[in-house]
Amino acid sequence: MAIAKAERLMNLALCLLGTRRPLTKRELRGSIEAYVEAFGPGDGPAGAGDEAFNRMFERDKDDLRELGMVIETVEGLEGDTGYLARRDSNRLPPITLDAEEAAALGLAAKIWQQARLAGAASGALQKLRAAGMPLAAEDEGPYDPAQPHSALEPRIPAHEAAFEPLMLACRDRRPVVFDYRKANAARPEQRQVEPWILECWRGHWYLAGWDRDRQAERVFRLSRITGKVRSRAGKFTAEVPDHVTVRETVESWAGETATGTARIKLRADHGYPLRARALSVREAGEDWDELEIPYGHGLDAWLVELGPDVVVLEPAELRADVVDRLRAVAKG
Amino acid sequence: MATNAIDQTRRMLSLVTYLRERPGARVGDVARAFGITEDELIADLDVLPMCGTSFRGGDLLDIDTDGDRIWWHNPDDVAEPLRLAADEATALLVAARAVSTLPGLREGDRQALLRATAKLEAAAGEAAGASSRLSVTFESEGGVFADVDRAIAERRRLWLKYYSPARDELTEREVDPIRLFAVGHTYVEAWCRLSEARRTFRLDRVAEIKLLDAPSDPPPIELRDLSEGLVQPAAEDPEVVIEVGPGGRWVAEYYPHDTAEELPEGGLRITLRTPEPASLRRLALRLGRDGRIVAPQELADSAREAAARALAAYGG
Repeated sequence: MAIAKAERLMNLALCLLGTRRPLTKRELRGSIEAYVEAFGPGDGPAGAGDEAFNRMFERDKDDLRELGMVIETVEGLEGDTGYLARRDSNRLPPITLDAEEAAALGLAAKIWQQARLAGAASGALQKLRAAGMPLAAEDEGPYDPAQPHSALEPRIPAHEAAFEPLMLACRDRRPVVFDYRKANAARPEQRQVEPWILECWRGHWYLAGWDRDRQAERVFRLSRITGKVRSRAGKFTAEVPDHVTVRETVESWAGETATGTARIKLRADHGYPLRARALSVREAGEDWDELEIPYGHGLDAWLVELGPDVVVLEPAELRADVVDRLRAVAKG
Repeated sequence: MATNAIDQTRRMLSLVTYLRERPGARVGDVARAFGITEDELIADLDVLPMCGTSFRGGDLLDIDTDGDRIWWHNPDDVAEPLRLAADEATALLVAARAVSTLPGLREGDRQALLRATAKLEAAAGEAAGASSRLSVTFESEGGVFADVDRAIAERRRLWLKYYSPARDELTEREVDPIRLFAVGHTYVEAWCRLSEARRTFRLDRVAEIKLLDAPSDPPPIELRDLSEGLVQPAAEDPEVVIEVGPGGRWVAEYYPHDTAEELPEGGLRITLRTPEPASLRRLALRLGRDGRIVAPQELADSAREAAARALAAYGG
């Protein structure tokens, strides 16, 4: 059986961390059993295994860099390239966390349901643990209901296939291209985007970035990305702003940006959410109340849900929108 | 948790550091400190003796265990705590920031999170930079959250006036809270004394809340796996079929469904199950010309009839 990847990576990491001088690829290949077993020691003339070894070696180095290792490349080592991971650039700076802080981080680390970030969060806690972070009280025994912390389980779902490639593209500032279906569009359209940030609001993920074709900032909802997210070569062309306003944009989509007020009649004991944000409420005859409520884009859709329990008084345009929607449903 | 090679490598590097400082550490303690099972730890301990700075030099890690304690016989200074990777810093910092902004969180917890975040940012250095490219906001009603949190800690029953959007009505009930959780919105899972069943309440739909003196005494129930999604229809729930045009595709994003078939011209035919099809009348009304209920017929009829009655108030 081939030697497991984790064992190979571990050996490569230890070799690079353990050496005081740069090691050549040839030396590393000869020192790590997994490479010797798969490709031979590489001390003879150039052979068929060399190409495959080089590919695996490059991938392994990339994997270790993903784990946070700083691997230096030193050129001109008897015509060869040398590699090492210096202790001082790989060491975690001193950090002292008390048991309460450790508990708080432990709670936060459980938040991720996305595999890559869940793995990264546990990995970070393990590194901190190795550096001396104490165990939180909860970790030491069975669940204690009298424990002094909020009884909270926060979770962040990230089921969208586009999440991981976009997270990496934001991190590395790489342009991407993907097919995107706008809310009302019949078909998806290809978008070329310089991705800035991913934001999760009300359990949904959004991407903000520079839309190259439209030459403007845009917000995309991840669940509307169809197909694969592909990376594009090259750098960002537009400047990344200091502050990106995903939430404001999404709120305006959701019709939560009020631009005026409306007057409605609402049947008693109905429409609690409208009552909760009403500017004023007064009785309007038997069984009815009259409310003044904030009015913005999308309010017609909310009101029409209440069917015969609400009547729009003004403005006329809102009244017309609601009637129009009701007619469509009544026709069936 | 399934172990992939990257996560295992990361863990073994930390493990080596941890073991150097703790000769004779107990298997159970180490597994708990690393958040893994004892079996996973033993699997790591099987790999470590195959690792070293050069297998040819014979300097493999001499780590072994008798199943109870773990010994490293040739500890080496290669085992220093490693700097955080960008993804690791991001995963912890983004989560800590998200939780610390939750309205209603206990002040002690918030302060601990803020202190930990500041220390982490300092220790992560450059690796912390990318964490600003990911952001999470939880919605919560601070006052309600704090009352539920207190009820759970003090094991007390709660009285709720709760809004049910499906029926557009407020109901009053007593519940025994079990846990608070946040998935976008914040919820309390509780044993409802009115229905004698487990119920999940969204905090922003709680119109009024009171802590009662009666003790909370929920029957022992298995907690649901939140990763499965909040709405988990049962196989025997009635089926609802909805056809939407391009303007109604959002339904598939918001309603858990069994199937969503593409229709010509960008529409979807969505099939879902719900214990209470009548609760979808609101959806039918909202869709307007962007969609219609195909089945069950009673639901389609009730939406049509409700729209006709509503129109009467506008003079037809």
